Amino acid sequence: MTGWMILGIADMLAPTHVLAIVPLGLLAGRDPWRWALLAFFIVGLTAGSLAIAAAVRETPAALVLLVIAATAGLTVATAWQPPSVATGLLALAGGMALALNTPPQATIIGGAVIAQISGIIAAMSALALVIALGSRARAPWQRVGLRIAGSWAAASAILVLALRLAR
Amino acid sequence: MPGEPGGKMRMRVSTSLSVAGYAMALLPLAAPALAHSGEAGAGGFISGFQHPLLGPDHIVAMVAVGLWGAFLGAPAIWLLPVVFPLVMAAGGVLGILSVPIMGVETGIAVSATVLGLMVALAARPALWIAAVLVAAFAIFHGYAHGKELPAGAGAVAFSAGFVIATGLLHLCGVAFGLIASWPAGRIAVRAAGAVIALVGAAYLAGMA
Repeated sequence: MTGWMILGIADMLAPTHVLAIVPLGLLAGRDPWRWALLAFFIVGLTAGSLAIAAAVRETPAALVLLVIAATAGLTVATAWQPPSVATGLLALAGGMALALNTPPQATIIGGAVIAQISGIIAAMSALALVIALGSRARAPWQRVGLRIAGSWAAASAILVLALRLAR
Repeated sequence: MPGEPGGKMRMRVSTSLSVAGYAMALLPLAAPALAHSGEAGAGGFISGFQHPLLGPDHIVAMVAVGLWGAFLGAPAIWLLPVVFPLVMAAGGVLGILSVPIMGVETGIAVSATVLGLMVALAARPALWIAAVLVAAFAIFHGYAHGKELPAGAGAVAFSAGFVIATGLLHLCGVAFGLIASWPAGRIAVRAAGAVIALVGAAYLAGMA
């Protein structure tokens, strides 16, 4: 059981997923409705997991994640505060794409369920952590640091997106 | 801290940034302990992180961006590290798409020379001029990295690695550049700019 849990967590915290979670969390962290945005994310994760369980066919979830990472990163870098609804939709899409991009690798149903639930909890926790960190940035240099982090995330996502679309 | 005199605030910020910058400068020296090396995760990140560090011309140019930003002061000091990775990514996209750009390596060497000279001569052009100059050079650096971006599972980790390494080099430059607040520090920063310009010139002359 521990093995399936670790597998689920490792799959959910893959580089592409972390690249999306970090700027999304930083963006949500600046929003007054940040914890509601986390709820949107969880809804997305759940919906995506249910779609996986319903054996949905291959989706462009990885590309969607990169677009979300680039969008959220650019928004954080520019220090622009979009409407909470827009950020909520981004969080919803992010959650869904994360789950869809993490099909269970377990060969038994029980293992797949454990892996999926573990992954959801890991993603939820990671986003909550980044939201909490982002919301605590008050000093000017801390806000600049967040903008730099957003810029890095956006730059990485743009490069990988270009690579995947070009090749 | 709220209400604190501006001078003490700047000193506290500059001290924190300097400490962070020196600590980050040591990161590339850390030997990673990897049980499994692979392109998809830590291995790809390490490869990407090392990529800007394998070329002295890249290193000095990136440090010069941070140095010059610190020299120019706010808002350049934080604007350049925020904008540079994004413009570099644009250059990287050109590299990925194999858009023909002549003289990329020459452009990188010129960037080190010009940026080093800007610092050495204590040049303070208008912000938009500095931004355009840095952006132009960022295209060349990004193009070089983009051409070597690996396809497949390692791409995300690799790109994150070299973007972060580039950003940390900027921050090292910013941290060092903050000593320009003092007269002796100003001389040291300008001397560093001269060294960077010489390194760039050596590359241009084919001596490196």
